[in-house]
Amino acid sequence: MKLIQKKRLFILLIGIIVLVGLIGYSLQDRDDETTAEQFIKDTVGWAQNLIHTPVSYVTGVFKNIDDIKNTYEENKILRDKIAEYKSLQYDVQELKEDNAELRDTLEKTESIREYNPIQATVISRSSERWIEQVTINKGTQDGIEENMAVMTAEGMVGKVETPSKFTSTVKLLTGFDQFNRISATISREKEDDVFGMIEGYDNESDHLLFRIIEESDKDLEEGELVLSSGMGGVFPAGLQIGKVKEVKPDEYGLTRMAFVEPLVDMYDINNVIVVERQQPDDNDSEGNGEDES
Amino acid sequence: MKRLLIPLILFLLLVIEGVALDILPVSLLKGDLVFVSHWVFVFLVLLAIFYDRGDTHFSVFYGLLFGLLTDIVYTGILGVYMFSYAFIAYMIHGMTKIWHANFFVTILLGTVGLIFVEIFINLIFSVTGVAELVWKDYLVDRLVPTVIANVAFLLVLYPIFTKRLIRWKDEQLSDSTKFNRL
Repeated sequence: MKLIQKKRLFILLIGIIVLVGLIGYSLQDRDDETTAEQFIKDTVGWAQNLIHTPVSYVTGVFKNIDDIKNTYEENKILRDKIAEYKSLQYDVQELKEDNAELRDTLEKTESIREYNPIQATVISRSSERWIEQVTINKGTQDGIEENMAVMTAEGMVGKVETPSKFTSTVKLLTGFDQFNRISATISREKEDDVFGMIEGYDNESDHLLFRIIEESDKDLEEGELVLSSGMGGVFPAGLQIGKVKEVKPDEYGLTRMAFVEPLVDMYDINNVIVVERQQPDDNDSEGNGEDES
Repeated sequence: MKRLLIPLILFLLLVIEGVALDILPVSLLKGDLVFVSHWVFVFLVLLAIFYDRGDTHFSVFYGLLFGLLTDIVYTGILGVYMFSYAFIAYMIHGMTKIWHANFFVTILLGTVGLIFVEIFINLIFSVTGVAELVWKDYLVDRLVPTVIANVAFLLVLYPIFTKRLIRWKDEQLSDSTKFNRL
């Protein structure tokens, strides 16, 4: 009897050692996941895709019925908007041509604004709610790499954390911490732009924390749009991140912190665009650029 | 062939866990109350009570395997689910020697098991710094809804699988001597 007790204790101790080892191994900064992990993720992702497609089709039908009810009202509003857009489109076209011409004369053809979009669908969400991540159905096969920005039509939702062959996991903005900073800006028409960094997500107030590094003369107002600035070298410029809600001095009183509300509802993401930044010349600075403070 | 049925069911539960969270209506996921699905574990409870014999440990073995898969697919921090699922499944398996398996014992063991799994996982996460939690908020906002949601799932699974698991046990485990080393 005593022998059996000892054996159990022994197994438990080995279990705890293995547990600590595994956690330590997975918490360290790993560049790539092991092939086994990627294989398992792909297999599960494939099965999830299999289930997700018909189910989302059915829920889509119900949603469509819901949408039809509002169609008339929406149509009215949209028609008005289209009239506005037409003139705007013309302006944009002109500006684009102007821009291209000026760039040509400068012989500077690459811009931090440009990117290649890769369309993808969200197939599952992490069931562990501490970890804010979703899985999308595109992987390295489709050209997805680590740290690419992920956005929807409304704005940025996160970045690619670990790509495997056919699926990849995306870290949502709500899960960002001090290791995943985004250099951001608030663009002003006349004064200097406001520059700063999105430093993470505050769970208590449900807002992104935007530390302002370079202030403008004019004070921040509620509702101003925060965009990515493209300075960090990872994300392209001009991705919409969120709207300013409130500005507070930080705990040392040296800089100020703006609370930014993300534009996208993180619980309602279906189709996303993975953004591949066009930047052939300084690939070496990628990856660690965002982490510097 | 029939032996593959149980791992297949567990795999299906694992897969659906993530898809369900993506498809569930937004209003359910927002707000302060957070529930985490432990469907794999709920099935492990049934396995431990109705499928395993006294000297076999299939539930513990599947707990290790599918806990590890959950870790890889959903959290990226290996070992947390693996260890807690397997350990609590072992405990529940041990308890079935004391109590006779019936409906109320299943619910009781399931509830206690879920509470322990949840606390265990969050303890590890808070120690490693993945989650910042205030225990009082945690109990109200997370633990209670999670346990209620998963016990509800146990109530759904119970009538479907109890009889089948007992039948599979008689068919498959009558001469099996594997996995009884623990």
